[in-house]
Amino acid sequence: MRIILAEDNDILRKSLSFFLESKGFSVDQFSDGEEALHAIETNNYDLILTDINMPGKSGMEITQHVRQHINSDTPIIILTSSGVEQTELDSFDIGANEFIAKPVSPAVLLVRINKLLNKRF
Amino acid sequence: MNNDFPIPDNELQRLAALKRYNILDTLPDHAFDDATKLVSYICGVPIAHISFIDENRQWFKSEIGIGVSEVPRDISFCRYTIMESKMVEINDTHLNDKFKNDPNVTGGFNVRFYAGVPLTTPDGYNIGTLCAIDHVTKELNENQRNALSIVAKHVIAQLELGTKNAQLDAQKKIAEKAVLARDSFVANMSHEIRTPLNAIIGFTDLLAQTELDEVQRDYIESVQIAGENLLLIVNDILDLSKIESGNLAIDSEPFNLKKTLKHAYDLLKVKTQKEVEFNLFLDAEMPDIVVGDQGRLNQILVNLIGNSLKFTNEGEVTVSVKKIEETEGNYKMKFSVKDTGIGIHKDKLTTIFERFTQAEESTTRTYGGTGLGLNIVKQLIELQNGEISVKSEPNRGSEFIFLLTYKKAENKETAPKPMSKNDLGHLKILLCEDNILNQKLAKSVINNFGFDLDIAHNGEEGIELLSQNEYDLVLMDLQMPVKDGYQTTDYIRNEMNSSIPIIAMTAHSLVGEQERCYKVGMNAYVPKPFKQSVLLKAIKTVMNPDNEAIHKRVVNLSFLDEMACGDPDFRRDMIDLFIEKIPAQTAQLEEAFHNDDHDTVKKLAHNMKSSLDIFMLEDLSNCAAVIEEEASAGEFTSETLDKVNILHCGIIEVVKILKEL
Repeated sequence: MRIILAEDNDILRKSLSFFLESKGFSVDQFSDGEEALHAIETNNYDLILTDINMPGKSGMEITQHVRQHINSDTPIIILTSSGVEQTELDSFDIGANEFIAKPVSPAVLLVRINKLLNKRF
Repeated sequence: MNNDFPIPDNELQRLAALKRYNILDTLPDHAFDDATKLVSYICGVPIAHISFIDENRQWFKSEIGIGVSEVPRDISFCRYTIMESKMVEINDTHLNDKFKNDPNVTGGFNVRFYAGVPLTTPDGYNIGTLCAIDHVTKELNENQRNALSIVAKHVIAQLELGTKNAQLDAQKKIAEKAVLARDSFVANMSHEIRTPLNAIIGFTDLLAQTELDEVQRDYIESVQIAGENLLLIVNDILDLSKIESGNLAIDSEPFNLKKTLKHAYDLLKVKTQKEVEFNLFLDAEMPDIVVGDQGRLNQILVNLIGNSLKFTNEGEVTVSVKKIEETEGNYKMKFSVKDTGIGIHKDKLTTIFERFTQAEESTTRTYGGTGLGLNIVKQLIELQNGEISVKSEPNRGSEFIFLLTYKKAENKETAPKPMSKNDLGHLKILLCEDNILNQKLAKSVINNFGFDLDIAHNGEEGIELLSQNEYDLVLMDLQMPVKDGYQTTDYIRNEMNSSIPIIAMTAHSLVGEQERCYKVGMNAYVPKPFKQSVLLKAIKTVMNPDNEAIHKRVVNLSFLDEMACGDPDFRRDMIDLFIEKIPAQTAQLEEAFHNDDHDTVKKLAHNMKSSLDIFMLEDLSNCAAVIEEEASAGEFTSETLDKVNILHCGIIEVVKILKEL
């Protein structure tokens, strides 16, 4: 399973990536939204995991682009630290499948990822 | 380039005159727009403007019916008007040889009627024009022509006014700078005076503890009193300069209000004359512990009560304190200092809070004083968002009333543990201090504690001694030649990698200084002139960091471990990444904070939050959240500064712990 992870905080990105790799996923990591989007366009990922606030492109913009321009239904999980209900609603509205508030619990993240991937296959 | 327009003989000077007004390409201005409207009304024309002509364009400061901000000079009608000394009026452009084939007549603005008054500066340069334009033929009457000239004069007057205002602004800035320079001079001087004074008082105290005969004791007591009085005056001046420069910080710490009042009472009781009854009345409902600035309250009380006692020869001086309002979070307290003294004349009541004023000039001769006390009291009360008022009648007495609001304390004050120096064992202490008197003073005090003291005359020497000998603790003066206290601490922490406790000793007590001390890695801060007990307490605190109980930080790595799935190498990598990145980010954040760069602060605080969460540093993550929030709101408050400082110190602690893992 290939996951793309877009998160600009180094420590969090590396940790999540290490964690997911330990669980058997292959992870491409990006700290810039624009670069992440480019990778999504050129590769086939099974799941997109993106932070909401990022340089380049935000998680919202990535989600919007994937759904509207690439017309892909790849599962998308948005990570955010905003804790604002509206942000959560907005991210569902533009087509995200899951929304996880930071600090992210690795165990919970894993359950959600597996749920999304199982549903798909 | 071949310009197709006439050029006045004094063109260069004319352009220079125009430039002086700094009017070109400025934003619209009501005063000019009104003048333009006036021209349009007076002449009954659809087009009017006020414009200025530079090297190659006509720029419209204000216009009606034109719709562009500038036109090239070579197609401007007004290129001719600025050649004239009087108004130019063309009743029908079709009949005018110069204009009948002009593109603005045959097309463009369809100018049929043109009246233009040159805008002439007081020194005689035509820098622009004031114009009325119509699409039909027209002739102005004498009143209209006069009116146009008058408006033109007003426009120039307006310009002159703008220039004068700019000059005044510049002068004001110079004056403000001078005031600032004076304040910092006063602050520095007071500091310079305080340092030797500190030594005088300290040694006098030590001398008073030796065996003396009666005459000697009497002399020493006089020196003590004189020294203390001088210190009060210098402190007054220093306080004022700090208030003036906005450098005076108001503390917000829990303190015992009743004890503070009783302490002030006991302190002043000894100064009471026999014929005067001195009372302290405390409201039964009064809270014990409040949160606020104890030192400043004490200062206010000592000042007001001191005044009352000074000016009262018989009768009574009564201090009463009452809780007048209680809300969920605050107590509002009313303090009254009432006497039966000489009183203050009605017409002096308004000025007694002003600086350098005493009710009567003769007061100074009879009673002494700097005339600064009440001014400081008022400013100190206002800095705490309180208010002060006075009622008085000559020969009947005075009553000073002030209101202060204190926050409620969250927890009961923990009883201070009895302190003895014995449990510290035998300490070897290094003092870095350049002032010989202060060295001697510190030596006697430290020896009295039963500790050993080595002395370095500057930071460089301190570092040398530190690398040759084993010390338990460093006392660090901040201002030293060669290497100052900050530089020396920085060297000890970062070059020598030593975590030896360092206590800062400073006479400055300015806002931000304490933070700066902690920032470079000092462990405690003792203001000079130091009290023996305060110094001992600081030594005790830094020698037994466990006494700080609440402050002992534990880093919880369970979250990181979960991420690392038990891989020690990855865990170490992340810890190293934290050590590498976070202090740098904190430094950037601080810099951006001090530059008021809200955007950068917001981004950094946001980014740091994720890192802090992984290391489960909940308190620091909350700090970052608050900082981010305030940065988003676009305004930093004193709370933000607090959080930035807490974050800074917290990160230092965490990094230290992580490095030792």
